[in-house]
Amino acid sequence: MKGLLFSNSHEWVKIDHDIATVGISDYAQSQLGDVVFIELPQEGSSFDKNSQFATIESTKTASEVYMPLSGEVIKVNSELTNNPQWINNDPYDKGWIVKLKIKNISETESLMKDDAYKDFVEKEAH
Amino acid sequence: MDDYDIKEPLEDRLQKIRLEEEHIKEQRRILQLQENSIKEERQELVSEQEMLDQVMEEFKKKELLLKDREKELSLRQGLLDKRSKQAQSFKDREDFRLIFEKSRDLHQAHYIDRPEVPSKDPNDFFAKNLLRSSLPIPTLGELQVVRHFSLLSERNFSVDSNFYPLGSCTMKYNPKINDELSDLSGFIDIHPLQCQQDVQGALQVIFNLEQLLCRITGLKRFSMQPSSGAQGELCGMLMIKKFHQISGKKKNTVIIPDSAHGTNPATAAMCGFKIQIVKSNSKGLVDLDYLNSLVSEDTAAMMLTNPNTLGLFEENITEIAEIIHKKGGFLYYDGANLNPLMGFTNPGLMGFDVAHFNLHKTFSTPHGCGGPGAGVIGVGEKLIDFLPVPLVGKKENIFYFDYSPCNSIGRLRSFYGNFSILVRAYAYILRLGERGLARAASNSVLNANYIKEKLKKTFDLPYDKTCMHEVVFSCSRQRERGASALDIAKRLIDYGIHPPTMYFPLIVKEALMIEPTETESKQTLDYFIKSLEKIDREIDQDLQNIKDSPHTSWVKRVDEVKAARFPDLRCKIIGD
Amino acid sequence: MPYILNTEKDVKEMLGCLGISSVEDLFSHIPSSLKLKEPLGIGPGLSELGLKRELKVLAEKNKTIDKFNSFLGAGCYDHYIPAGLKYLLSNSKFVTAYTPYQAECSQGILQAIYEYQSYICLLTGMEVSNASLLDGASAFAEAVLMSMRISKKSRVLVSASINPQYRKTLETYLSGLDCSVELIPFDKDGLIDLAFLSRSVDDGACCFALQSPNYFGLVEDAAESTRIIKKSSALSVMITNPLSLAIFKEPGLLGMDIVCGDGQPLGGGLRFGGPSFGFLASREAYLRQLPGRIVGRTVDKDNNPAFCLTLATREQHIKREKATSNICSNQSLNVIAATIYLAFMGEAGLKDAAGYSFSNAQYLYKRIKEVRGVNMPYGQGFFNEFIWEVKDPEAVLNKLYQKNIIAGHYIGNEFEEHKNCILSCCTEKKTKKDIDDLVNTLAEVLHG
Repeated sequence: MKGLLFSNSHEWVKIDHDIATVGISDYAQSQLGDVVFIELPQEGSSFDKNSQFATIESTKTASEVYMPLSGEVIKVNSELTNNPQWINNDPYDKGWIVKLKIKNISETESLMKDDAYKDFVEKEAH
Repeated sequence: MDDYDIKEPLEDRLQKIRLEEEHIKEQRRILQLQENSIKEERQELVSEQEMLDQVMEEFKKKELLLKDREKELSLRQGLLDKRSKQAQSFKDREDFRLIFEKSRDLHQAHYIDRPEVPSKDPNDFFAKNLLRSSLPIPTLGELQVVRHFSLLSERNFSVDSNFYPLGSCTMKYNPKINDELSDLSGFIDIHPLQCQQDVQGALQVIFNLEQLLCRITGLKRFSMQPSSGAQGELCGMLMIKKFHQISGKKKNTVIIPDSAHGTNPATAAMCGFKIQIVKSNSKGLVDLDYLNSLVSEDTAAMMLTNPNTLGLFEENITEIAEIIHKKGGFLYYDGANLNPLMGFTNPGLMGFDVAHFNLHKTFSTPHGCGGPGAGVIGVGEKLIDFLPVPLVGKKENIFYFDYSPCNSIGRLRSFYGNFSILVRAYAYILRLGERGLARAASNSVLNANYIKEKLKKTFDLPYDKTCMHEVVFSCSRQRERGASALDIAKRLIDYGIHPPTMYFPLIVKEALMIEPTETESKQTLDYFIKSLEKIDREIDQDLQNIKDSPHTSWVKRVDEVKAARFPDLRCKIIGD
Repeated sequence: MPYILNTEKDVKEMLGCLGISSVEDLFSHIPSSLKLKEPLGIGPGLSELGLKRELKVLAEKNKTIDKFNSFLGAGCYDHYIPAGLKYLLSNSKFVTAYTPYQAECSQGILQAIYEYQSYICLLTGMEVSNASLLDGASAFAEAVLMSMRISKKSRVLVSASINPQYRKTLETYLSGLDCSVELIPFDKDGLIDLAFLSRSVDDGACCFALQSPNYFGLVEDAAESTRIIKKSSALSVMITNPLSLAIFKEPGLLGMDIVCGDGQPLGGGLRFGGPSFGFLASREAYLRQLPGRIVGRTVDKDNNPAFCLTLATREQHIKREKATSNICSNQSLNVIAATIYLAFMGEAGLKDAAGYSFSNAQYLYKRIKEVRGVNMPYGQGFFNEFIWEVKDPEAVLNKLYQKNIIAGHYIGNEFEEHKNCILSCCTEKKTKKDIDDLVNTLAEVLHG
């Protein structure tokens, strides 16, 4: 998780120039339990920061996933439809959810670095 | 006497002898005393011995009893093993097969006769593209069908065979007479479009049931159309919506407690309302300050169940009603939890304007694996004109369909409701009568409180106060030791008990929601309590055994993750 | 007191454990202003015998349908039910269980529902079915709501020839939402005016819903209507009679997206119109928008086949206000009845029940048409019921009723354009004599 940024609703972001890859953190997946389904957004749709863009379902809960940054979805990980367990097994790699064309890079300033996020999770767990 | 000096003067000697005698007397007295005390002690010993004997005897009795029970248990264990082995061998044989895999190449079943009228071929009447080319449904012999469904029925827990303390569902005993009566030919062999004069008995059942429900609930009129609690809710909230629409007020929000049944917000959303959640306070009741901060001119209604889903009575209900009414909103009663109140108080008195009642819960109609039920809707004066039609009226001893509500929301289904269920509920109320209903209510509360008191040492009780018909525990302590509410629920199956409702209400972590109902005996409750205590001890002794449970059911723990990830929702052997 | 097992001694012990002296103490926290001051006034209760006496009187006040020569249908059909069905269905381990939340101790129910879902898919030609809804009319309303969620549109097109009770139910269900319902009229043949449909449908429509056989019993050209609908983004929704599907093309093969209807014809009995059940099936692509319970097949820990409720995240107890519907329960017992009915009847039996009904109805049509004064508004493209026209129909019905014949259901109050029409139905239970009696008596009634 080195080099990743985190939101306080437990999404991670990897920045590559003006493209951001977004997924949910290892902590988030462990809280959800076995993921059985993910509702993905349409490619080409735009979202504001903190708006809901996907829903992840386990057998007993449905959780909304929020945009850590504003932007346009340029690619969704459609393989997750048939392999929802990747969110559990490999949340930072195969379990990525969307790639985003970043609208406003300054929004990254409000996100946490991995160390800060680790502290944040520890606090939330207690 | 040799000891005495003969020369001594007689006087002295006499004196000595006297002294001696005194001494002896004294000694004797002391001896006597000692003897007495020994006697006493002996007596005490004897009685102690007697007591010991008694204890011993009881001990022996208990030992025997225990041995008996041990024997019984090992017998049962043996039986279970045998059953499980039998089950296994069953599984190895054919009985895991679906009905589609049992098809035989049989001739026609002959349940019906070929008519005497000329036989007509649909091909002569319809274009080919509107007719089906094959009907690949299986053909079976009658015995095969009977055996298939008889076997299926054995793989279920039911109220008739198991304690079923499923919170919020009121799984009380369903008297058999009600089934018999609702199945009378006069009640089932009638067509809903027959003329009214030929179905007077049916209309009278509906009319009379309405009268009884009005008395029990303190409301003014009822429609029997809604066929489930959820449909009753939809009906009530649509009436509220229409009332506000007609009076030209833009009221668009509905207030719902965080402890509410999931149907409440889902229903409000189906009616196009916006939802505001009111938090519960530390006592598990609606937080009045919070409620005051939410209400506004936009408030169309508040939906509430009382007792709430924690099994607690909302003591401030009168204040809540005032707060909502002051803003021109309606108070909606989710009648799922009416059972403990019958004969003590009612929604009308509490200030509710509209309410649905689950006849399959409070009025004991069997749940039928999930339905049919009935979620009839009752209203106070203000909303009568909005009820779905038809209602049933009475004029000069003739019963008729009443279409008078001028602002009726319309209808929620075909015809008049789940009539067979209405007959059962009517029979139940008649049979129990005044005192019977109150007795049912008070016993449901007594049973729940007994469980609460006995189990609160073992499980966390988030709100420790007198509960009504159900009690909600948290398994968070057990969770810390490795067993979740789910694990505990599954282990209960091995004890022949249907698990309580799990993980609801949402505001209690690892919740187990227990509703024993009034028809269970203290012995059953004691068995349930002991079983849960045993499971709690087992967490420290053999956690894996709990995690692997249930052991005695037809199948082992079911893989729900696989079911959801790879939905297999129909048999694809035939036709594909 | 009936049905209470606790003895006085039990109650005393339990009160002792709670540290209180009377049961009333358990209600002491209820404010006294809320306590009932007077008795309910509902009577003292009855013995079982007394209750039976009372209810029998009411049951006998009803005149059962077998006392008449009845041709009533219109959404509730008097078909023969194999004797074994009642026997199997009275099994109290079906009757007194609840929703199979706990899969391990509910395998029988779950398997039965899975088999039901499979039957519905076979009959309708659809890919997925739920575990049933309350009745056909509310299932139809749910089907339209489903199409609104899928299409994210809110203009509903509905054929005018669907069962009026279904239409009213739909209007009620939609009354809180921002949407519109437009009727597509029927033509001179009693079938959907396809040209009108063609003009009405556009990308703003969420669906076009039709019933086939429609309320007049006529089989619609659903293949043509779906062809028209497919030109837009709207969905095709069909209400149907499941028994008619023994003869008619699977709606799935006609291009339907959602199919629904009432299960009553499948062994449901009359029961004064309820309970029955509503079925709802769709294409797999719409599975996540399908409301109601769904049963899936999976495995247990030992890898044996097993069943459980699945895809619960669509439902109210998890998604709350974002759920697909507020519905929780299904009509399991009625669904099990239908599954047993289908198992007993099998392919041949089902074809017979449908085919014999069809032949009987066609015979009645032919004979009644010959009666002077009777006019047939539409042709013979119907399944088991049709409408016929006569002057002063209510008086005619009444005169026939005097002779113990219920000739059908008067639809003049439901359809302006059919003020003088009666809807008559035949099932396989009708004999040639029954039909001849109706026709002969009708001739007498009309012409003395």
